[in-house]
Amino acid sequence: MSLILLVENLSIGYNTKKGVLKAVDNISFRLEWGRSLGFVGESGCGKTTIGMTLMGLLPENGSILSGSINFQGKELTRMKEDQWRGIRGKDIAMIFQAAMNALNPVIRVGDQITEAIVTHNPDLLPEQINDRLKTLFDLVEIPESRISDYPHEYSGGMKQRAVIAMALACTPKLIIADEPTTALDVIVQDQILKEIKKIQQAMDMSLIFISHDIAVVSQVCEDICVMYAGQIVETGTREEVFQSPKHPYTKTLLASYLSLDSDEDIAIPKLMETPDLINAGSGCRFSGNCHCRSKGCLTDAPDWINVSSTHKVFCCEQGVNQSKIKIGSCKDHD
Amino acid sequence: MTETTTKIIELKGITKEYNPRKSFFSKKENKVVALNNINIGIKKGEILGLVGQSGSGKTTMGRLLVKLEEPTRGTILMNNSPVNNLKGRDLKNYRSRMQMIFQDPYQSLNPHLSIAETILEPLNIHKIGTIAQRQEKVIHTLETVGLSPGKDYYSRYPHQLSGGQRQRVAIARAIVIEPEFIVADEPTSMLDATIAIQLFGLLIRIREKYNMTFLFITHNLAAAKYLCDRIAVIHEGNIVEINAASEIIRNPQHPYTKKLIQVQPGFHFNHLS
Repeated sequence: MSLILLVENLSIGYNTKKGVLKAVDNISFRLEWGRSLGFVGESGCGKTTIGMTLMGLLPENGSILSGSINFQGKELTRMKEDQWRGIRGKDIAMIFQAAMNALNPVIRVGDQITEAIVTHNPDLLPEQINDRLKTLFDLVEIPESRISDYPHEYSGGMKQRAVIAMALACTPKLIIADEPTTALDVIVQDQILKEIKKIQQAMDMSLIFISHDIAVVSQVCEDICVMYAGQIVETGTREEVFQSPKHPYTKTLLASYLSLDSDEDIAIPKLMETPDLINAGSGCRFSGNCHCRSKGCLTDAPDWINVSSTHKVFCCEQGVNQSKIKIGSCKDHD
Repeated sequence: MTETTTKIIELKGITKEYNPRKSFFSKKENKVVALNNINIGIKKGEILGLVGQSGSGKTTMGRLLVKLEEPTRGTILMNNSPVNNLKGRDLKNYRSRMQMIFQDPYQSLNPHLSIAETILEPLNIHKIGTIAQRQEKVIHTLETVGLSPGKDYYSRYPHQLSGGQRQRVAIARAIVIEPEFIVADEPTSMLDATIAIQLFGLLIRIREKYNMTFLFITHNLAAAKYLCDRIAVIHEGNIVEINAASEIIRNPQHPYTKKLIQVQPGFHFNHLS
């Protein structure tokens, strides 16, 4: 399998009044063609910042401090705005979080998607554009009769489908989905996840899926990165990360997740401290909440410990070897 | 008769219809039935879960209970006395026994009011205690919801708090006048799982401390199962199934309940592929 994306030692900072806030700190990951990679973590852990950086859409006070992003041999960190225009939407596309805000309320949905097609393919004839539009609506299962409706005439699930169609308009090689189902209820969420998975496999695209919902990520992605306070703390295949989690934070996340199999008297994990990302010390960032920390954890940076060839944990021996927090069962419902 | 006396709230034949776009020229009525003949009782000290997807009418039911809206037909009884068409002093008195926690803590708190002013407001409106007693009550309530020491949060503003802390403030505002009944409308859907589960723990502690009754509105069946004694499943304005929480998960009867259980995300890896 060939590599589509290689990120090495990437750090991203935001300028704030109090100093530079390192939202993403020295992260590395790789994505192979046709695979799907999931980022999970709580709000503020830097997962959306990674998505925005891969689209070249960092806000004005944000900048890449160090590291490299290699997308098919192109170095994205040194890209200028006009070069970005050739990539954004064409090679890398994004499915945004709040579908209700991602669509322009005064332009017909079909016209908004046409705009995405025409921008990157200015030579297409009107009939070809129309055909492409119909194929896209077919793909995301919106009836053709709704092409010239306005966004307010769509339901929440349909708006999300339209946003997906827009991302697919130029058959990108890499799709970044940032919490695409957070605003939807469980039944619509299930439909949209199936949709994304089906399209990704049918069109042989690579997928980066960002969510705070570990169960959703476990359903869509083959590989998982767990993030905490700007750092990746555990990475591996979904079976490795969710069935034999090693990092205390991953265990806490899994223990907090309520599933239908959860016991009624599960221990409630407590996360009280949020680390300061402006003046971060050298010690382990999770040490303030970790129940198996030693003195060394407060001052020394953790190490990458290899559990298997794909499963790595950013922790200390003691944390990895501690007994498991009891989690909800992983058995198959179906 | 013992059963009816233990019911704090009872809905009898509640129907709510909306008439969107009632055209002057068309004779055809264009109504949306949000709730259709709902009959349900909530026992004292119980947490009842109301589970359904968006548009099923679950929020409408919450709004009817706190009298933000009036039912089209049917009666709501609180402690066996009807509360339809309450006005003036009676309505105010009713609202002191009934509070609501809203979904989005980023929108439900007034950004211009400090935390203390936010929580003092219900005490001032219902004229409970002296000014010194009210301030003491606010600090005490802040500590009950896990914002301690309460003095530290007293003069802060909502923008200085995280989402989880804001929702704790919203909960403090609802419980400060010690109502008998609380409607919680998706109180954790905007929050991370690690924060959500701590808030569930808090709601359970509050229930034990004050013996309050809750209606917990959610689309997350797993959360309802964790928190609630009984679960009512609502679909297109009809309650399709109501049973003990563990029973409804173990042995769902209605096809819609089965569907809800099936789409509940879990760690079953081959579900989508």
